Amino acid sequence: MPNKSWRDYAFAILSVSVCSALCFAMYPRFELTNLVMVYLLGTLAVAARGNRWAAGISSALGVLCFDFFFVPPRFTFTVSDAQYVWTFAVMFTVAMIISHLTIRLQEEAEAARQSEQRTTWLMEKAKKAEVEAETERLRSSLLSSVSHDFRTPLTAIVGSAGTLLGKDEIKKNPVLREQLENIQEEGGRLSRLVQNLLEVTRLESGSLRIRKELYPLEEVIGSALERVERSMPGRPVTVDFPENLPLVPMDAMLVEQVFINLLENGIRHTPAGSGLEVSASADEKAILVTVSDHGAGLKDEELERVFDKFYHDKASPGAGLGLAICRAVVNAHGGRIWATNGPDHGAIFQFTLPRGELSHGK
Amino acid sequence: MENEKVLLVIEDEPAILIFLRSSLEEHGWEVLEARTARIGLDMAAKKKPDAILLDLGLPDKDGLVALKELRKWTSAPVIIISARGQENDKISGLDAGADDYLTKPFGINELLARLRVAMRHSEEKPEDAAPVYDHEGLKVDLIGRHVWLKKKEIHLSPLQYDLLAVLVRNAGRVVSQKQLMKEVWGETRDVTPELVRITVHQLRHKIEPDPVRPRSLKTEPGVGYRLEAES
Repeated sequence: MPNKSWRDYAFAILSVSVCSALCFAMYPRFELTNLVMVYLLGTLAVAARGNRWAAGISSALGVLCFDFFFVPPRFTFTVSDAQYVWTFAVMFTVAMIISHLTIRLQEEAEAARQSEQRTTWLMEKAKKAEVEAETERLRSSLLSSVSHDFRTPLTAIVGSAGTLLGKDEIKKNPVLREQLENIQEEGGRLSRLVQNLLEVTRLESGSLRIRKELYPLEEVIGSALERVERSMPGRPVTVDFPENLPLVPMDAMLVEQVFINLLENGIRHTPAGSGLEVSASADEKAILVTVSDHGAGLKDEELERVFDKFYHDKASPGAGLGLAICRAVVNAHGGRIWATNGPDHGAIFQFTLPRGELSHGK
Repeated sequence: MENEKVLLVIEDEPAILIFLRSSLEEHGWEVLEARTARIGLDMAAKKKPDAILLDLGLPDKDGLVALKELRKWTSAPVIIISARGQENDKISGLDAGADDYLTKPFGINELLARLRVAMRHSEEKPEDAAPVYDHEGLKVDLIGRHVWLKKKEIHLSPLQYDLLAVLVRNAGRVVSQKQLMKEVWGETRDVTPELVRITVHQLRHKIEPDPVRPRSLKTEPGVGYRLEAES
């Protein structure tokens, strides 16, 4: 802090000047030793600013001024009585000791203040970490109980509806059948929503570990199709993968969920009966997957926002979680996901999965 | 109806018990209910059920621990109930001697199919295992080592055939990745999970008309594979 130290030196000179002026006023009525006290006081004031060098200069200047202005013969540096040399030495030493002690006292006070601050900061941090750990514990226990508490009644609802649907009386009665199918299908949908909600929470809390192993993409899209074609039947999905598509390191359960969410999203937002296409290609670095549909496509401002959590367009049902999960999963794999519009309508969702590192699998 | 088979259901949720009891009784099963693992183990010892349905989330004891205790003295088929996201539990369950598993939510037909397959495997002696598998146009003759797809004989590599044979012997039942590695590759050290996946992939391209939508060789995500039971 050069600026501040410049001020300290100026203050030292000012202080010595003021002390000298005061001493001139006192001189006729006081003994010379008392004038020494005035200079010492001035040095104390300089030292109080915490600059050792300025205090030193103040001490030295004080001795010089005292000698020059007041010690006979006055207005010379020569000294008539040798005992004054002793006075100067004591005066300088005392001034230096006072300034040293003052500055050290200040430094210690500052150190104490800083360590107190650090302690408070550390304590706050420790407390915060404790609160975070507690929140995390709460969250995961909440997650598993929500998962259990939702799945159990849903299993009973979907299961009981399914059992009734197998009965001959029901098969003969179209009204009962339709109502029961409604219960079964919507129960299934609710179950998938709960699954998505759990997954998004797990992905965000970081409690979900990605376990990458090498998989043929075909196996993963196969499991996804099996589930989608059962829950939302009647939509032709074409899969076109090149024969020599390499294995990709991935967490297969999570990537399967990405496929399911992209396909279900596509089916929900396109006219009944229209098809969807899934294709893939690979270069040295990554595998690129494309899922395209034949709907109305996305508005320009939606292209980014569709991946935001809880975003959904008002015209269609959905919790706005599916695509958010896709993005979280793809990002966690080190890939990228984005949406565009095709040349002849329809939305195109694409994502990449890097072919590189295999992580802590097994 | 022939003499009823007895199924012990170890499950603490009344709603699921109601669903299971009336659905199963209609299909010729007598259902015993146990709300805790302790009661379940006790009933399994006293009533000697033909099969056991075990929920992994029990209030008093880890379902996997209960399963290990069961397996010390009974060979009755055990099917575990679990959820998606609990694949590690499913694998541990199969390792600990469970015959199969169901993922919530499941329907009664799925449960009946699992029970049928588990009962068949527990009742048959190795020598009367059906040497021929026939499902959706896929036919496998384990004695003559022949495989046909839509009446046309197809040729598999020895590894592909061995893998298919293990699945045929377990038809209808899930076979874990680990089990396949052990039974197909034996003690070979350098077998990896991806080698199993590649072999299944190649096999599908030979035995499935549409390998993306397998009709016979299904994937059990996160666990292994299942060759559909003959219908």
